[in-house]
Amino acid sequence: MNLDREAIKGAVRAKVIELARNLGMDAGDIGDDDIIPATGYVDSAAILELVVWYEAEYDMPLKQEEINIDNLGSINSMADFVLKRKGAG
Amino acid sequence: MAFALHAPRVNNNDDIVQVISFRVGVGDFVKRGDVVIDVETDKAIVEVEAERDGYVLKLMCEVDDKVPVGAILLWQGDSADEAVPEAPVAAPAEGGSGIARPTAKARALLKELGLDAAAVPASGERLSLADVEAYMTAHGIRRRDHTPAVSVPAQESLPDVPGELADLNAEERGMLITVSWHRDHAAATYLEVEYDPKAWEDHAAAYASANKLMLSPLLPLLAYRLVQLVKASPRLNATVVNGKRFQYRPVNLGFTVQAGETLYLTVVRDADALETGKFIEALGEVQRHAIQRKLSRDETTGATIAFSSMARWNVSRHIPILPPYCSLMIAHAAPKGSGRAVLGASYDHRVLSGFDVARLLMDLAKPPV
Repeated sequence: MNLDREAIKGAVRAKVIELARNLGMDAGDIGDDDIIPATGYVDSAAILELVVWYEAEYDMPLKQEEINIDNLGSINSMADFVLKRKGAG
Repeated sequence: MAFALHAPRVNNNDDIVQVISFRVGVGDFVKRGDVVIDVETDKAIVEVEAERDGYVLKLMCEVDDKVPVGAILLWQGDSADEAVPEAPVAAPAEGGSGIARPTAKARALLKELGLDAAAVPASGERLSLADVEAYMTAHGIRRRDHTPAVSVPAQESLPDVPGELADLNAEERGMLITVSWHRDHAAATYLEVEYDPKAWEDHAAAYASANKLMLSPLLPLLAYRLVQLVKASPRLNATVVNGKRFQYRPVNLGFTVQAGETLYLTVVRDADALETGKFIEALGEVQRHAIQRKLSRDETTGATIAFSSMARWNVSRHIPILPPYCSLMIAHAAPKGSGRAVLGASYDHRVLSGFDVARLLMDLAKPPV
């Protein structure tokens, strides 16, 4: 597990692009601060897959109430949340 | 209070499972979903998962033991030093050792559950059906007679093309049970209404914004509205068993989740008792468990109504198969760019009329005020 902020952002970005591709979308231009659900690249089911991947990738089980825009809404916020939870932020 | 983990039913034809190995020992703390025991039937080896968090208090069988489906495999407790209910492992002779002799009905239920009469306290001289039912309630034991048999023609011939036979996996077996019940028991039919999705989309967007949700709450809110409408009209929450109407008390919502190549019918139990936010959380939880392949038994059984959406796949219509003992399954579709959406319903005409279902669909097409 690489807890470098840029590495986390890169991994999240790659996962979003992969999930979007499964839906026939190209999310290559997604910005670090774009609100992922609002981009239209991924639907709710794909976001759920993203969350499950995120929990497993960073060995970080989430409470349901933690799954919100503030914590996980963008690539930047997902990276920040990992670092905060791991005490590395 | 100590709680039991029971031998699972792996398939309809096996009433006995053989213990292959234990993954845990007395004193271990296990979390819900942890694999604790491996059991084998004639067809497969199955990992048995803990249904709750807790310490292992006592193992009730040994490796190589053959135990009836429903029998207690082990006891757990919230602390490591809880007392385990008295339950002799070896079945004593009926009527001996001061054990209350079960009535015929109690004996039949004990046999069905694979329970030992000595484990169940009697309220009188005889062990009654009520005693066994009280024991079931206290220990979270459910009857397993809601799993219908799969009828496969005994003499079905193989196709006249080279190939190999293979056993179905657990999910495929479950689907076979579902389609067989739909075909053989339900008087299944279908109807649908079209609706303008804008009001629902606006409602969901406002809810998502107010609650800062990651996932669109549109489908959960539709499902919750369904639960509320069914709660207000209990006759929609029923099935037919042995020629009689069976009225469900709780509304247990089934919700389809596609996880990879597997389609699960996840279940939110007692959905009618939940507030909107709690329902959305509970549904999110079972969806995550489905994708993680960590669904507990309670999260995959007991649906009394169900909801399925294929809006993601841009289909214009799908006609769901009714799960066993479920008389109503809503089908949602919303072809992209069409400006229209469809709410359909497969329903069991033995229980519901077209009028019942059409009225429900028209109500469901509008978000709550």
